[in-house]
Amino acid sequence: MMDALSYLFASWLQPELLALTAVGTFAGIYIGAIPGLSVTMAVSILISFTFGWEVNHALALMNGIFMGGVYGGSRTAILLNIPGAPAAIATALDGYPMAKKGEAGNAIGLSTVMSFFGGFVGIIVLAVAAPVVSEFAILFQPRDYMLLAVMGILLVGSLSGESLAKGVFAGALGMLLGTVGLDPMTAEQRFTFGSVDMMNGISPVALMIGLFGVSEALLQLHNLHLAAVKQKVDKIVPSFSDLKKYLPLSLQTSTIGVIIGALPGTGGDIAALMAYDHAKRVTKDPEVPFGQGAKEGLVGPESANNAAVGGAYIPMLTLGIPGDAVTAVIIGALFIHGLNPGPLLLVEKPDMFWFTVGNLTLANIFMLIFGLTGIKIFTKIIECPKGVLFPLILLLSVVGAYSINNSLSDVWWMLGFGVLGYFMKLYGYQVGPVVLGIILSRLMDDNWRRAIISEQENLPAFFYGMITSPLSAVLFFTILLILLSQTPVWKAIKMHAHPRLGRG
Amino acid sequence: METHNTRRPGEIVFNAALFGFSLFMFWQAYQISGFSALSSAGAFPMAMSAIMVITSAVVLIRSAGLASPGGGFAAFRKEVLPPAVLVFSLFILAYSVTLKSLGFLLASFLFLLFSIWYLERGRIGRTLLLAVVSIVGVYVIFRLVFQVVLPEGIIPERAILAAIGDFFGGSN
Repeated sequence: MMDALSYLFASWLQPELLALTAVGTFAGIYIGAIPGLSVTMAVSILISFTFGWEVNHALALMNGIFMGGVYGGSRTAILLNIPGAPAAIATALDGYPMAKKGEAGNAIGLSTVMSFFGGFVGIIVLAVAAPVVSEFAILFQPRDYMLLAVMGILLVGSLSGESLAKGVFAGALGMLLGTVGLDPMTAEQRFTFGSVDMMNGISPVALMIGLFGVSEALLQLHNLHLAAVKQKVDKIVPSFSDLKKYLPLSLQTSTIGVIIGALPGTGGDIAALMAYDHAKRVTKDPEVPFGQGAKEGLVGPESANNAAVGGAYIPMLTLGIPGDAVTAVIIGALFIHGLNPGPLLLVEKPDMFWFTVGNLTLANIFMLIFGLTGIKIFTKIIECPKGVLFPLILLLSVVGAYSINNSLSDVWWMLGFGVLGYFMKLYGYQVGPVVLGIILSRLMDDNWRRAIISEQENLPAFFYGMITSPLSAVLFFTILLILLSQTPVWKAIKMHAHPRLGRG
Repeated sequence: METHNTRRPGEIVFNAALFGFSLFMFWQAYQISGFSALSSAGAFPMAMSAIMVITSAVVLIRSAGLASPGGGFAAFRKEVLPPAVLVFSLFILAYSVTLKSLGFLLASFLFLLFSIWYLERGRIGRTLLLAVVSIVGVYVIFRLVFQVVLPEGIIPERAILAAIGDFFGGSN
């Protein structure tokens, strides 16, 4: 117990870690806020620069960026009506109308404090639930891991993309790319085309930098010169009566946020949209109608998207399955540092788990401090010329890819994926499932083979086991449900039952 | 989420390319171990590439059913590959090629100089200032603070750093 406490506060007491968390959170707020910069981009590029660090140092920086970034998107959503990050899309719906009425300061203050509440709820749930899940996870059979991975990919692919087919394609592509190289079980060559370079496989970091960094920067060149809108910002610190009034709603939507965040494959963006929907449903008579600056419409999504951060760490640390795109990148970083997230992590490395919990709490507190101060500088920084920003992102992408192995071949892969990602995004494919796929590929392949070997290569027996084991059955039917929910028949039924739910 | 009734320029070509790639990868996956066993090295890649073939076929057929965007190659250049993206891609390519031989400092400086000048279309003095400030910032953060190994190339930066160190060390 004392040990856990000392790990918990490790980052609070060591000046270096404290500083890294502060820097990470501060940077995260701006990365999240500046449209075109994303947390996934920043964390992917940083992985290659933090290779040589101790794992806790690297984690402190990434946790800070994650926490700050999810919140930071709300600021540009409120001030400019441009969500700086996908998780802030719902925030713009009522935040921007508030700003137009001259209440930008009030909106930012409220969203900051509510993000803090949400973040805190998420962390508490992480601290309580992860040990339980991890004990439960020891009961998981290879089959269940395989099903969980499928579920994660399907959720990412189906919820955020243009069509399920494109999402599934992207996920399968990522899985396939993950198999390139020598097969870890039999040492057979897979897709190496006789090249020695290819035997080590494709570096997931190069793929991530390409898909999240280069492709996004290239895409942003399409709309380089967006006019900035000036807003009057004052009175940041929200009133106590407001906080008291919206706390119950915040708690409800935080719960939604944690659950959505903890589902493999779904993150803050979906949590925020669902929370907005929930806020709309439970608020019977808002002071201001939704869409015209209702504070409830701000409180809901902002609590939820930060609560999803803590939630997303649960499957990552206990099952080795990322909760969303950012945790997919962070899991990549943990692999590089020689850690193997999964059910045994909490037993073998409890220090890392408690460090993460404590560090996220710290990042959350920094987020509150930075969120309520420095707004004047903020409005200056987000106006920084994009013509300088994008060359810098590309420069860091190239240097980042180079420093993975000090070789140019990773740079070529990175650029190749950058171009692929550019076209994929342009034609409505999601790149998130590709990254999730390459991270989960090994887990899926291994567990599929273990599962089918344990059934003596008998496919009917495999399916029989899947339906008769309660856990596998639940996962299997969840997957079926996800697939079904994408078919036109289901959509027609849903529209018929709840006409209000059908949103564009 | 938007729904499109017309395809975007070049969409069908991209979807067809993905379909072709999927077929090729399926064939390659088959080459690994054929249909020998469900737990073979090739089974999982074959399953994944099969999913790719099916889904990309669905996407291709659907996109073929949409109305043609019209505008021909001009529309493609405008919506998909505007000059800024094309020129910039060439800059990145040139940067990657020269990174090792010229070294991080010189190659990055030239890359930033050209790309900032191209994107901002500002005065050369301002561009020069922005490029120098950016490169110093990146160098200090990544090379000196993060200790990332960057290709040295033709500028003897280590010697310069050592000289600066000596200078300050000597003056104490």
